Amino acid sequence: MNLLFDLPAAQRSAFTPADGEEIKYCSPCDIDRDGKLTHERYLVVTNRRLLVISGSQTETDLALSDITYLKCDPLVNNGLLIAKTVQNDTEQILARFTMKHVSRVAFIAKGALLLRDGIKKQVISREYDKTCPICGRALRGTRECPKCSHKPSVLWKFFKLCGAYKGWLAIIAVLMACVAVIQLVIPKIQQIFIDDYLMPGKGGWKEIGIYAGAMIGVTIITILLHVLRYWMCISMGTKMSMDLRQMLYKKVQLLSLSFIQDRRPGELMNRIVSDTAQVRRFMEEAFSGMFSCIITMVSVVIYMVMMDWKLTIMSVIFVPIALGFSISFRKNIHRRFHMQWHRFDKTNSGLQDILSGMRVVKSFGTEEQETKHFRKLTDDFAKVQERNEVFWASLFPLVSFVMGLGIYVVTYFGGVGVLEDRFTVGQLQQFITYTWMLYGPLGWMTFLPRMITQLMTSLERIYDVMDEEPLIRDHEEAQDIDLKGEVEFKDVTFGYRSYEPVLEKINLKVKPGEMIGLVGASGTGKSTMINLIMRLYEVDDGQLLIDGKDINDLKIEKYHSQIGVVLQENFLFAGTIYNNLRFAKPDATEEEIIMAAKMANAHDFIVKTPDGYNTYVGEHGYSLSGGERQRLAIARAILNKPKLLILDEATSALDTESEYLIQKALERLTAGCTTFAIAHRLSTLKDADRLVVIDGHHIAEVGTHNELMEKKGIYYGLVTAQLQMQALKGEDAEAVPAGA
Amino acid sequence: MGLKNFEGADEEFNLEQMEAETEEMLRMRFLSDTNAKFERTAGGFVSLDIPEGEDGKAEHYDRVRVVRSFPFTAPNTYISIRTTEEKSKEIGIIRDIAKDVSKETRKMLEEQMSLRYFTPVITKINDIKEEYGHAYWDVVTTEGPCKFVIYMNSSSVVSLTDVRLMISDLDGNRFEIPDYTQLSAGELKKLDLFL
Repeated sequence: MNLLFDLPAAQRSAFTPADGEEIKYCSPCDIDRDGKLTHERYLVVTNRRLLVISGSQTETDLALSDITYLKCDPLVNNGLLIAKTVQNDTEQILARFTMKHVSRVAFIAKGALLLRDGIKKQVISREYDKTCPICGRALRGTRECPKCSHKPSVLWKFFKLCGAYKGWLAIIAVLMACVAVIQLVIPKIQQIFIDDYLMPGKGGWKEIGIYAGAMIGVTIITILLHVLRYWMCISMGTKMSMDLRQMLYKKVQLLSLSFIQDRRPGELMNRIVSDTAQVRRFMEEAFSGMFSCIITMVSVVIYMVMMDWKLTIMSVIFVPIALGFSISFRKNIHRRFHMQWHRFDKTNSGLQDILSGMRVVKSFGTEEQETKHFRKLTDDFAKVQERNEVFWASLFPLVSFVMGLGIYVVTYFGGVGVLEDRFTVGQLQQFITYTWMLYGPLGWMTFLPRMITQLMTSLERIYDVMDEEPLIRDHEEAQDIDLKGEVEFKDVTFGYRSYEPVLEKINLKVKPGEMIGLVGASGTGKSTMINLIMRLYEVDDGQLLIDGKDINDLKIEKYHSQIGVVLQENFLFAGTIYNNLRFAKPDATEEEIIMAAKMANAHDFIVKTPDGYNTYVGEHGYSLSGGERQRLAIARAILNKPKLLILDEATSALDTESEYLIQKALERLTAGCTTFAIAHRLSTLKDADRLVVIDGHHIAEVGTHNELMEKKGIYYGLVTAQLQMQALKGEDAEAVPAGA
Repeated sequence: MGLKNFEGADEEFNLEQMEAETEEMLRMRFLSDTNAKFERTAGGFVSLDIPEGEDGKAEHYDRVRVVRSFPFTAPNTYISIRTTEEKSKEIGIIRDIAKDVSKETRKMLEEQMSLRYFTPVITKINDIKEEYGHAYWDVVTTEGPCKFVIYMNSSSVVSLTDVRLMISDLDGNRFEIPDYTQLSAGELKKLDLFL
């Protein structure tokens, strides 16, 4: 999202920058003081001032250092920028804007406050604009407007991509040329047959036989060529989309988590699946047809002109009319069917609504009412559908008639020509055939712009991902190391968004084999610390050292293979338990797997299932409980004998008894393995070598359980609070059976 | 529940406070000229004084939010007056700004509501162009001419009543057509795709 718009000349004239003053952020504010829409009003933030300029008038001119409070207040369908200053401690409205700019101004407000505090860091927004700020076109999930950005065009990239399939393209071109030639030759053969043999007294049975044979031969060749061409196009399209899909998938894997988390999961899925399929469809349907149509049309016109240019003009005169008719007709059809689709959608969602709310409908006894409601929806849909079908059925013949008007003209004047002996009957027949051949592709060609635009949209989305630079990747001197397990945070600062630090100046040194419990209220940055250790994100400032080396100097793959991770929600892939456990170590033996499962207290429940370790889990498989899932995840993590173990609420879904058992097992396992554990249930962390309490982006307390309890600080408060909550829950638990 | 309630071991888990919060949640206080005084602030907002508030204590709010309970169907009744912080709390409700407050106050509150709700009313449709799944509108509204883009799906144009339409654009702005039957035949034709 652009946070620095170009300030138009008029507004620029209202603003004289001081020495060394430069515009840092600029956004339109498109509602004026009277609540009218405007293009004249701008919010400008320089490294010294905040200005609101309307036309060539400066409405507000505040020194950043005077601002004590600055906030973007999102209201209903518009937003306000509100400030307090040193001089005036009441909230005042600085600017007003539509939803187009609400998020932009919110970012700019944060940026202005950073500038005020002397922090140079430029706030950037990874959000995408919904429409292009320059041309107003809707952006379909790309950062820059493909029309307004001056990057090498997507089409050019696509051509370069096609370069890899030169051989295929050449063969397809030759095939298409052959098809065109044969299509031109068939009417010629007919003409010769009619003129030379089909006249009384000219030909005999033999000639008719030869003609029929020739026609069959040519037709078979045409069919074969067509099949070959389609086959080539389909294989090329499939190959291309497969290649694109693999490239995209590889890229998505490389990109950092933040890129993926900025997007809805369905969106990336669409790009990998649907957009590449769109490319394939284009190659199959449009690409092959496009060139054969052009070749056929051009050669037909040349041939026709050679035969009789006057007649050619007459037959072509109706082309624009036919085209116009076809286009306007299609628009109408599109409208009608869009309407039908709209009703269909409404009916569908109405049905879904009622079916999924059936319990409520039944319990409130409103079946009658809902039936009426649904009947109205289906009635509407049926009416529209009926109207459309009748329309389609009655109008289609009319359109064909208009499209074919040129034929009647040619037939009349051609016929006159035959009577006047300017043509032979065969030539007339040949000419009429060519005219038909001209009209056929024309109708098809009107669909082409739509197909090309669809292709471009898909390509834009594909290249939007392809052009993204991964934030985290191995640099050239990255090393493979065997971990000892020492972790050190050195002045680490990090935030998911550039203006919101989650961790500030964290310093912590962890010895190999130490178990660290991370404690703090939710949202304080415990999981963030773990994300940094897992290297899912890169620190903004400071250093994270692993065995004394900067984490960025380690090869990612090797590093990841030596850490084990158990999260609160553990994803199991569709497959057997056996395969899921082997995920991190594909060459693990059965014995190793059983050992790991035993340690995770999972062996017993696995063996109890009918298929044991071969039990299929995943979407349509055996459904595991939360606790079972967690135990499998623990087994998966420890199978590889990691040097660094990360447990983020790893035992939260377990009952106290199995948690205790796993704790005991883990204790044995984690000897010599550096462990970071987060647990909401603080009793889980009692045995940690050190507890680290995080509060307000900082490390607040460090020590063992006993030390921190004596200190009576935050940790002490958390423990006592939890005990009280438990006591309260205990009372509730007793109260319920008594009441029931 | 925040950490602060749990500081100190000797402190009882605060049941009383929760009771009080429940009370507050259920409270319904109606505001009118007799018990509340609204005033414009220098910054363009409205402040509120309640001389005899809860337990007879005077209450003062530097700035209040003026929120409609039924923005579409009853814009002038059941106006909720709220505090401005993020977890905005209700101070009171005005049953009907036409009856319960003075003309002056009413004007003040209406100004605040027109700040909060920005829904230009479409008075003229110049053009609606459809292109590949989006519709580009070029209209004149009560707040000036405007161009916007909507998705071509059923949730972009919603009928509030048989004749009243609410249109939402890609960015989340809203536009209203109070009675589409009042539009000219040409405009209706452009619109009929969405009806």
